[in-house]
Amino acid sequence: MSPSPLLRIFGLSKNFGGVQAINDLSMELVEGELLGLIGPNGSGKTTAVNLITGFVKPTEGEITFRDRDITGWAPYKIVRLGIARTFQMVKPFYQLPAYKNMIIPLYSPRVKQMTGGKYGDRDAKALDLLEEVGFERDAFVAYKAASALPQGYLKRLELAKAIALNPDLMILDELFSGLSLAEVASIVPIIEKLRQEGKTIIMIEHRLKELFRIADRIVVLNFGEKIAEGTSDEVMESDAVKKAYLGAEA
Amino acid sequence: MLANTLVYGFVNSVILVLVALGFNLTFGISGVANFAYGAVYILGALLCWTFFNSVGLPYVLAIMLAVIITAIAGALMYRFVLLRIRGMVLSEVIATFGIGLALLELFKYLGFIGFEYSLPVFIDTSIDIGQVVIDMQRIFIVIIGIVMAGFLWFFTHHTRTGLRFRGIAQDERTALSLGINTDRVAMLSVSFGAAYAAIAAIVILPLGTINVEQGYSVLINALAVCIVGGLGSTGGVVLASFLIGYGQTFTVTYLESHWVMLVPLIAILAILVVKPSGLYGEQKELEERI
Repeated sequence: MSPSPLLRIFGLSKNFGGVQAINDLSMELVEGELLGLIGPNGSGKTTAVNLITGFVKPTEGEITFRDRDITGWAPYKIVRLGIARTFQMVKPFYQLPAYKNMIIPLYSPRVKQMTGGKYGDRDAKALDLLEEVGFERDAFVAYKAASALPQGYLKRLELAKAIALNPDLMILDELFSGLSLAEVASIVPIIEKLRQEGKTIIMIEHRLKELFRIADRIVVLNFGEKIAEGTSDEVMESDAVKKAYLGAEA
Repeated sequence: MLANTLVYGFVNSVILVLVALGFNLTFGISGVANFAYGAVYILGALLCWTFFNSVGLPYVLAIMLAVIITAIAGALMYRFVLLRIRGMVLSEVIATFGIGLALLELFKYLGFIGFEYSLPVFIDTSIDIGQVVIDMQRIFIVIIGIVMAGFLWFFTHHTRTGLRFRGIAQDERTALSLGINTDRVAMLSVSFGAAYAAIAAIVILPLGTINVEQGYSVLINALAVCIVGGLGSTGGVVLASFLIGYGQTFTVTYLESHWVMLVPLIAILAILVVKPSGLYGEQKELEERI
């Protein structure tokens, strides 16, 4: 018997006025899987993330997480259940130092549930987590205000905040965008380590080469609809995918 | 006379800090400009008066109950009115102004007009500071003003809830994505702001009587201080309070007392012309031009 999916999306649709951003999207994700969600610009990837994480309410359809219907739940409730996300456009608390940005998720109700309220030394934990994602402790980067950090560090901070929530499912929205090849190469091992720890991950990416190296399965969206699903080789062979990306008849 | 002006100007400035802290706290965290603030200030004072004079409770207990009930009133206002219109700035202003107006008119309708509505001073004595004689109530105002500003700083920088306050003040979507119930935190900020208004009223109003009309001037003063200082900035509130506070005191001393109300209004106009985001405003110059 196949395991019950961790996340199940069924018949999900979202209209913004006259624009059909997501149309009848269905997909499943099993525990421990790394799913890549790709598609051309405007294909509805970020809307799908916003629907799953509660930032946008669906027009139709159902989302279940561990067999609980979470359709239309408020974002903070979804986080408490174990789904964390990063933002495509990084969203740190700019006026706070990087390590203080970490304190807020480390004191979150989700972590309270997991630890029984025994938070321990939050500052030390914050610094440890930041070091794990590449903040060099000796350089004291973690003490700088987020507003003073370059894009590479902001992306790492975004990832660290999601990790701090100790989620079961992480949704990483274009984590690699705006990063150099070397920076991406240094983040990939962090994601692989998260997988080894049993985290389930959805990655939305335009950097397909890097994504295909680590993803188990790929779902391709175009104009809000799922046009292909399978391994990276399978989806890249799909005529619909070629047409969506290249704009020509296959 | 100069020494007198300097000392009383200092007290007047702290009074403005006290008056504006709650308004600024609510706006800084939730983005709600609570135009019912003046009415909430009077509500706190009248509740205290009622518990002390009509119910006969000890003064300390009357103060505590008045502050708690005013805080609850603030939370209820958020829960049943502001929650539904949050983010629609014009609706927030109209709704809170309407609530404030209705409350103040209700107090008048209930008969809270007259000199008998006054709160007792904490200790009825005065002391000499150099050549200046000053009553103990004004000393209390200064002490409580400093304690409340200090508490606010400590709360927002060194407590879990305070850190959440700062989080949603900076980016509500990020706060939501980290599991913070932003509506609950915004409700707390309105509630805390109301409690601060009640404390300010109970400390300041023993200097005179509880005049319902003061609700309007309190709102104007709070608005002026926050606009001049930069909405949401505690440092700005303190600086602007001292500028306007000393401006008012010098006006009373060297010009005429009926010009006093013009000081905050002139300060608002001047800052809007020179630096629209306020002295400590966080908006960038470019954004101000757009």
